[in-house]
Amino acid sequence: MGDQRDSRLTQTFDNDWIGPGIVSLAAIVGISLFQPAFLSSFNIFVLLSAISVNMVIALGQLVIIGLGQMNLALGSIGGLVAISFVGVMEKFGLPVPLALAFALGIGIAAGMASGYIIARTMISAFIITLAGLQIFKGINLGITEAQPFYGVPETVKAFGNGSVFGPIPWLLVPMVIASLGMWVLFNRLRIGRHILAMGSNPHAAEMSGIDPKATIIWAHAISGLLAALAGVMLAAKLQIGQPTIGDDWLISSFAAPVIGGALLSGGRVSVAGTFFGVVIIAIITQGLVMFNIDPFVVQIVLGGLILWAVGINRLREVRIARVQARRGAA
Amino acid sequence: MTALHISHVSKSFPGVKALNDVSMTMQPGSIHALLGENGAGKSTLIKIVTGIYQPDSGTVSMDGKPVRFANLRQAAAGGLGVVHQERNLVTRFSVGENILLDRLGRNALSRVDYASLHREAEKWLKLLDLDVDPRTIVSRLSVAQMQLVEIGKALSLQSRVLLLDEPTASLTPNESTVLFRILRRLRDDGVAIGFVSHKLEEVFDICDRVTVLRDGQNACDSADLSTLNRGDVVQMMIGRAERITKRAPRVRPDAAPYLELKGYASGLGHRDIDLAVRPGEILGLYGLVGAGRSELAKAILGLSKQLAGEVRVEGQPVQIASVADALHRHGIGYVSEDRKAEGLILMHSVLANGGITIWRRLANAMGFLRDSTINAGVGPVLRRLELKTPSVYQTIGNLSGGNQQKVSVAKWIAAGVKLLIIDEPSVGIDIKTKAYLHDLIHELAAQGTAVLLITSDMPEMVDVADRILVMDGYRIKGAVENDRNYDAVSRRIMGFIHAQAA
Repeated sequence: MGDQRDSRLTQTFDNDWIGPGIVSLAAIVGISLFQPAFLSSFNIFVLLSAISVNMVIALGQLVIIGLGQMNLALGSIGGLVAISFVGVMEKFGLPVPLALAFALGIGIAAGMASGYIIARTMISAFIITLAGLQIFKGINLGITEAQPFYGVPETVKAFGNGSVFGPIPWLLVPMVIASLGMWVLFNRLRIGRHILAMGSNPHAAEMSGIDPKATIIWAHAISGLLAALAGVMLAAKLQIGQPTIGDDWLISSFAAPVIGGALLSGGRVSVAGTFFGVVIIAIITQGLVMFNIDPFVVQIVLGGLILWAVGINRLREVRIARVQARRGAA
Repeated sequence: MTALHISHVSKSFPGVKALNDVSMTMQPGSIHALLGENGAGKSTLIKIVTGIYQPDSGTVSMDGKPVRFANLRQAAAGGLGVVHQERNLVTRFSVGENILLDRLGRNALSRVDYASLHREAEKWLKLLDLDVDPRTIVSRLSVAQMQLVEIGKALSLQSRVLLLDEPTASLTPNESTVLFRILRRLRDDGVAIGFVSHKLEEVFDICDRVTVLRDGQNACDSADLSTLNRGDVVQMMIGRAERITKRAPRVRPDAAPYLELKGYASGLGHRDIDLAVRPGEILGLYGLVGAGRSELAKAILGLSKQLAGEVRVEGQPVQIASVADALHRHGIGYVSEDRKAEGLILMHSVLANGGITIWRRLANAMGFLRDSTINAGVGPVLRRLELKTPSVYQTIGNLSGGNQQKVSVAKWIAAGVKLLIIDEPSVGIDIKTKAYLHDLIHELAAQGTAVLLITSDMPEMVDVADRILVMDGYRIKGAVENDRNYDAVSRRIMGFIHAQAA
């Protein structure tokens, strides 16, 4: 019994979110020591808004990483949804709830389409979503002719820029709901467990009677839904249906989960770790700006951060392998 | 009432008649061996029964009713459990979740009830005498425990028919004994068990019926095993009596050792390893699974740090930094036990696989390689090994296990290695090819190659090795001169291993 409690304790400290959590905290303390303005109510509001949107984007990638695949079309789905959301309100005068349902529906449909083709053909998700990226972006540009839609209603603008109270933005609400939802999905729902089982060992999952096709389609549909949610949030935040929304999601959508301990080979994800990954990226981006450091440095630092994170993951794997070898020898 | 009846099943693939009018009848409360050499049609038959393939003609019925499963899930629902040769567990999940992985909830968005899931799993673990908490993460289990978890998984489907494909391939003798005890109990409970194995000792130990396939046909159909002896079964499998190899003891060469380890310790956990292998000598390295033998081979090849001691090649102290270093500077080759993962590149041709070790040597001044040059280097070796392939451009994944193994040996012979480490050469290899490989190893040694043979197959060890080192817990426990007196030698070897356990 003591042994079990012991292992639970080590498990806690072994958790994927501990490292990124400590780094986030250290970064906040460090930066605010030099720049007290960092902790101003306004700055916290700006940070939390950015974190909220980026977290939903990262979750959209996380579910596909859990499956052991990639979704390169994440941003183009988000962009297509964002212009559609604003477009149907501007052109057809659709009320916000209907426009929202329509927009999220597009995201789910786009994700399901990728998922269906991947499941049906078993061609790598990399290629299929690369094609999807082009197609969705093309549709986006065909509809908008590269011009934004401006018809964002005041309620939506208020949601994207207002605060619940103090420095807490409304955008935080969908992010918290999505995060909790994804935690439950990965840890408590059948489909989430099946996604992780497929990501860990696709052959075993199939041999155990899991339906691989349905699992792949589900995962991509969920990813599409999250991309759509992020697209809507961003349109609300920017107060404009900008066709370029989503163009810059790709790197950080992978960086945050990986910093949070996810294995790109699949089967291992952490929602909390991903959250801290998003926080770290936001703080560093914001912090370096406050110190008047050139933006290109931000990119280099972000790249370094990704290397550091995969390095830590790798180290952990090597350590586990070594422990197992030792247990084999004992 | 028959539990599973396979009646006159035939199946063709383009160019091959894999099964021709094959029948087999499994009764409840019986353990039924399915035997045959590689390529005889065992896997095809199992795939037809489980619905992965559909038969061209013939029927499969369970409890007298014809069945035709569309996939594994349907087969499982119909009471047919299969434990495949490779492990099919999600190692990051708990034991219980693995057992009930396909029954986590009614629909995709159902909540997983872990409390009742682990309660349910506990039942099956008890049945198997497996004393582990169902909440344990699978990666913490031993190989044998994982095997039992898989059997629990199959049983939890209320299987009345259980097919086991080489269940003992990765088990130690003790672990096999435990498995057999459980299989006997399941048999007594009325389960019909199908047992595929290459180890005839096991078959005679626990099976009561036997079906032998040869070249896709029945060599015998559900015969009573007690009326047969080992020779009969082998005769049916290979179509002629087994060549009982009783080799004369070979003269051991007294040349200076080619490779010598003294007080060697590796980063993988080896300690105090003393070992010397001479040109022309076949040194056996025996031990149970997990003793650290393959790991020692890999450490020698430079895949692990040397922590202490001395490594000498031809008397010179050396540091081997990598596999490339081992091959090109010290002439050491390694035939991996894991042919598919480490030995061969399955998607590439026979020629590319056979020539991979000598590309460096064969490239011309410009660094170009030509197929004809490679063929000139590898071709003679492949011909000598009587490799059966339509052409050297054939994708190697399409060849049988035995022929693949020939190529994985051939590439080292072509490279002209001075020391060949051969790890479990006959896993998944039929008897004919196995005997052939043994001859080949002897022939190589006779030509002056030093051979380090790693195997868990005791008859193979006694048949082939000159001298046997016994390994346990990443240390050398003792050495046995092999006089090829099977009983005496095997008893001494097991003595070394069990002396440690006591």
